[in-house]
Amino acid sequence: MRRTPLYDEHIALGGKVVDFHGWALPVQFAGILDEHHHTRSKAALFDCSHMGEFIVTGQDAVQAFSDLVCLDPFKIPIGRGKYGAILQEDGGIIDDVIAFRLGEFDLFVVTNAGPLDIVSKKLCAEQAKFASDSVLRDVSNDTAKIDIQGPIARDVLLSEIPECGSLKYYQARRAQWKGIDIVLARTGYTGEMGFELFVPNRIAVDLWRALLAYPNVKPAGLGARDTLRTEMCYGLSGQDFDTSRTPLEAAMASFIAWDKDFVGKQSLVAQRDSGNYAVLTPIKTADRRAPRHGFDVQHNGSVVGVVTSGTFGPSVGHGVGLAYLPQELLHPGTKLTAGPKELEIEVTSVPIYTAGTCRS
Amino acid sequence: MYPDDCKYTKEHEWIRAEGGLYAVGITSFAAEQLGDVTYVDLPKPGKQVKQGESTAAVESVKAASDIYAPAGGRVVEVNTALGDAPELVNEGPFEAGWFFKLEGVDAAELSNLMDAKAYAAYVEAQH
Repeated sequence: MRRTPLYDEHIALGGKVVDFHGWALPVQFAGILDEHHHTRSKAALFDCSHMGEFIVTGQDAVQAFSDLVCLDPFKIPIGRGKYGAILQEDGGIIDDVIAFRLGEFDLFVVTNAGPLDIVSKKLCAEQAKFASDSVLRDVSNDTAKIDIQGPIARDVLLSEIPECGSLKYYQARRAQWKGIDIVLARTGYTGEMGFELFVPNRIAVDLWRALLAYPNVKPAGLGARDTLRTEMCYGLSGQDFDTSRTPLEAAMASFIAWDKDFVGKQSLVAQRDSGNYAVLTPIKTADRRAPRHGFDVQHNGSVVGVVTSGTFGPSVGHGVGLAYLPQELLHPGTKLTAGPKELEIEVTSVPIYTAGTCRS
Repeated sequence: MYPDDCKYTKEHEWIRAEGGLYAVGITSFAAEQLGDVTYVDLPKPGKQVKQGESTAAVESVKAASDIYAPAGGRVVEVNTALGDAPELVNEGPFEAGWFFKLEGVDAAELSNLMDAKAYAAYVEAQH
């Protein structure tokens, strides 16, 4: 398994390490429920160094990137990020991405660990096609990513990186920590106020330790990350969608730039016009039982869909999840059953947890 | 490490004689593997079960598992405290975190279960 620069820190902190897409990462430290509640009430640190990062600079590189992604990078206000996906010709999702526009022709693109080899090959192949002053480079191997998430995240980070105070939700900028250049984004995967810090590997341990030294900042693992994001209905690449699903199906319709070209667009247009496709939809249970990944969803005795994410939602106190359902069943309140024990589930609305502080 | 007054299954349940009845739960090893328990599905009192029959279910943040009866018998009592406090399974798997109690257990059925020492070796061999 590959190790992030923070591997030894995780072991020293008692992290329980698991294999996540070939990376040795902590699934939990104190316990998933503790870490979940701590993130919702104080602040937690997550090591996301396994994720992919790309530098896209120069007009030709930005254009090449634009041709491969369903978002329009030229329409992102400078200093902001936008969510989207890289698709196959048939519209299938290779990976979801966030592109931060740091300058006119200066993007910082974040992708996932699972499909990174494919994404990297695809993006970097473009480099050969454009002028020498444009660059499209995979910087994943040199970049560590630390997320600080929780209501007190900004108060903590202000002491280390004062520039964070000016960032609104989904904004990003270059900044420095102890004289070292970093990228700072006010985004995350928890629904809470927080930041994603993209830093050179060599300062990851120092930054991790500096942030953990603050009162009420604790490490959290992949387990809490999963319960937190599921309560917010954020899809997970490779689990809630992959090349067998399109952005229309994966509830990303509002992130498709229909007025420009990109790989996969023709297929999406055809699917949109047909109107006939299942959509990733939030579901909940009435008690503590949880739907689980892979459960069939039944309606009136026949299978109508499938659960792709499901867990107990610690902040809402009941089961939460995401399922692909036909469009006629998307109305909140629709009652269905899921799994071999015919667990009663109900269609609900996004987000399931509504008290998140991410926009505050 | 594992209580001597219990017998153990390969599926990590324990069973213990208690005042004429037999209490059943999951081991500390199982609780640790599951992580934070979030729901326990208990049988209805009165249910007759056979040895090895799926009798209860336990859910954690990470997974759901069936709980099999370590011996046949009739369920006469269930741990209703787990409804509001499933975390008792993690906090005291051999005490407050018990699942259900059986009557009419044939003690001969317990002879094919592991004692504490054998169970410790079994867990060790798996990891």
